[in-house]
Amino acid sequence: MSKPHGKKKEETKSKGRQLTRRTVLKLGAAAGAGTLLAPTILTSRKSTVYAWDAVTEPTLCGAVANPSPPHTPFLDSLPVPSVAAPQFLSPTPTETANTGGGEAFRDPHQRWAEFTPAVTYQLEAKAGTHRFHSDYLDSYIWGFNGQYPGPTVLNAYGIPSLVRFKNSLPTSTSSFGTNKTTVHLHNGHTASESDGFAGDFFDTGLFKDNHYANAYAGIDDFGGFPKGDPREAQYTYWYHDHLMAETANNNYLGMNGAYLSYDQKSPPWEFSTPGSLRLPAYYGVTDFPLVLGQKRFCPTNPTTGRTELFQVVGNAAPSTDKWTVNGKIQPKLGVRRRKYRFRIINTGVVLPFTLSLHGPDGAQKTMTVIAADGNLLRTPADCSATSGFPLLEVHVASRIDVVVDFSQFAIGDSVYLKENVQTAQFVNTTPPPDPAPGLPIGRVVMRFDVIGNATIPDTPPIPSTLTELPPIPPPAVGVDPFEWGFQLRGGQADGNNFRISHSSTAENNTNHTNSFFKPTELPTGTGGPFDPGRVDHAVLKGSTEEWIIRNDTITGNWLHPVHIHLEEGRIIERSICTVPSGTGCLPANRTILSQPPWEDGNNSRRDVYPIPGQHRLRIRLAFRDFVGRYLIHCHNMNHEDAFMMTRWDVVEDMAQLRKRRLEINADRVARGDTPLYTKEDLGE
Amino acid sequence: MKRRKFFTSLGSDKPSNVLREPVQGVPHPASPGTLVFPNARLRTHENKEVRFYDDLIKGKQVLINLMYASCEGACPIVTSNLVRVHEKLKERMGKDLFMYSITVKPEDDDPAALKSFAEMHRAVLPGWTFLTGDPYDIETIRYRLFNMNHIAIDTDIYSHTSFLAIINDATNRSLHVDPQASLATVLWKISLANPPKSREEVLADNKKQQERIDKERKVYGYRYTF
Repeated sequence: MSKPHGKKKEETKSKGRQLTRRTVLKLGAAAGAGTLLAPTILTSRKSTVYAWDAVTEPTLCGAVANPSPPHTPFLDSLPVPSVAAPQFLSPTPTETANTGGGEAFRDPHQRWAEFTPAVTYQLEAKAGTHRFHSDYLDSYIWGFNGQYPGPTVLNAYGIPSLVRFKNSLPTSTSSFGTNKTTVHLHNGHTASESDGFAGDFFDTGLFKDNHYANAYAGIDDFGGFPKGDPREAQYTYWYHDHLMAETANNNYLGMNGAYLSYDQKSPPWEFSTPGSLRLPAYYGVTDFPLVLGQKRFCPTNPTTGRTELFQVVGNAAPSTDKWTVNGKIQPKLGVRRRKYRFRIINTGVVLPFTLSLHGPDGAQKTMTVIAADGNLLRTPADCSATSGFPLLEVHVASRIDVVVDFSQFAIGDSVYLKENVQTAQFVNTTPPPDPAPGLPIGRVVMRFDVIGNATIPDTPPIPSTLTELPPIPPPAVGVDPFEWGFQLRGGQADGNNFRISHSSTAENNTNHTNSFFKPTELPTGTGGPFDPGRVDHAVLKGSTEEWIIRNDTITGNWLHPVHIHLEEGRIIERSICTVPSGTGCLPANRTILSQPPWEDGNNSRRDVYPIPGQHRLRIRLAFRDFVGRYLIHCHNMNHEDAFMMTRWDVVEDMAQLRKRRLEINADRVARGDTPLYTKEDLGE
Repeated sequence: MKRRKFFTSLGSDKPSNVLREPVQGVPHPASPGTLVFPNARLRTHENKEVRFYDDLIKGKQVLINLMYASCEGACPIVTSNLVRVHEKLKERMGKDLFMYSITVKPEDDDPAALKSFAEMHRAVLPGWTFLTGDPYDIETIRYRLFNMNHIAIDTDIYSHTSFLAIINDATNRSLHVDPQASLATVLWKISLANPPKSREEVLADNKKQQERIDKERKVYGYRYTF
């Protein structure tokens, strides 16, 4: 590897430490003034490289987070992320890791023969540049295929796919990213070795094949084509870097993209076909991913020709003051008088979006929620001023699909997507005029301009029932729920306390001390910081369990959007603890809360569960089809990086389960904690 | 150029950036230097005066934690964990990897106090230096290196125990890890600041890891350990 760069290295070294634009130009004898952009081939004695691969590393702007440079609202059109092109791969993907051919180490693909990939893609993680706004210059990013957002991968249920993630991140960088990666498809029903487990990262120069069965969950129980239970269909996914302890920084730099799936119910067309719900469906025409991001920028530097993303090496992702949609700040989208589907994906990296839609006069308009975290709602629900749910919370990593009917507007009208809670944009800089009364320009995420009547016939009204929810049978009698608790240990980042305990039969938790109220004590019995080698819970393939996730910090403290890999769950009950105490939350002190239709387990399924302080969620999950290592973690990426994450495993049979659970019990006792599993849990 | 070489070079040999490979001993072109690492005068447990950036960090890979001699909370656990880290990395210690423990109570901890703390914890080891200095300088270092943008942590000087700062001025990496995490996690975090591996080393490591998980799979059914 080092040899071909021999000449280049020598020259760079001789120029001293700072590699200037001029040095870059000089590197290629054949290169002209357009080196950085033109596909000129740089030739040296020993190697030939494309100049466009040589991305100049960023010059950062110090540690003080100044306001981002101002921008002109609605200058840029909403970009549609390009669609990943299927391609043949060389070397050909194999069941076992092709380490000799440059593949990263991994377990063999599960169910490989059953789901031989019919379509393959390559997404290469590498440095690139991206212009977040026309008033800005280019920013240095890390993205899949060098672009932000990464290419959208379009898939159909029944057609297994394989994505080769190639790590070509720079070996030396002045950005705050870390050049290892592991990519999670959120939230695919994916075998462990392809699930982007946080500890399965690999080095730059290697690639890793993620195998996606594109089958519905429940493969073992349901035959048919596509295999699995069709009620388990999920349509909106996103893929992102999941490198342990460094996820926030890598995602802030741009390492994510959308992944959409289609089936009979939600096909990529709108005309009538058997089983189709006839939702707006033409990608980039009537169906758009809205990949939301939060960024802060350095002042534009004319010398380097860059408006860099604000970042400080050694720090977590910074607090932000600009919102991007598909990589542009405050873009506009021309729409016609008909229905559109928007797949809102919050890529974070830290804060939730709390959205509402507003007409030209500033009055709130209706967004109809049809899917939550990729799962169709049983009954679609309105987010409007009169529906009782005026705000649409989209937590980090959540996906909410909405349908907006623009036929209610006149040609020439503008419609605005508003963010209600985060600090508004243009803070500390002079804001442009507000577009409508009561609608500050700093709160507008993007604008829709109604430019004409529909040219593609509108879709019929949204059906009143979209899907039936697959039943998740209650766990066996006598098997108590498992609890995952967030607690705050004094003087520690939130993440250092994510523990699992066993709920007692009476559910009064009195045996679970809550270290938040004893902040100076060491966390005896807590899970402790994330360790990819430590298993905190083992479950049996094919079983169902109830899990309780509770946030023992007080109201007003951080809300934690908890994400569980592998399976979609149903929220059976959400309660708030009215009397927080050092001994947990007694049933008498719990008040059951009603939830929006896109969270309620009777109407929706989720994989990101928002849990504010003092809240307690009871969810039900089934574990099917694959074995291996999976994660539960807070999806505020700075929190998961502070190790607010832990590992649980799915095992093949009862003998394995018993063995793993006895080991976990012994580990806990060795740490001075109580055993987790009772006799019933051990099958005794 | 041979036709074959031309085509291969399009594939695998392209550089992904234009920065030179880091050289240990030479600060990275993007190193913030004294903008972040104060060049304060500190005093070692051997009572020698040193400059924080010039003598201790410049061009080096270092591990820094905060402590104070009379601490009875997490400090002993952290220190004993750091002794384990030192044991694992002793080949490199004092050569291209250094450890610094800085007291947050410089008023109480003079070089002699630090020396006896080190002796008590069996931490008088090559490449490991205990440091004291002017309280203002130490507070500046604490803020610059251990700032977590988290008010509960940043305003409390006793909150130091959960962080080990990992800095490599030559690769421009600066990371934190909880020294109470598992030894494997701490060592992994430290390795993120290591000088980059050559292609050959990457492939050899990869092969070794694959052999390891192939063995594990026979016992557990899948890759099990980290």
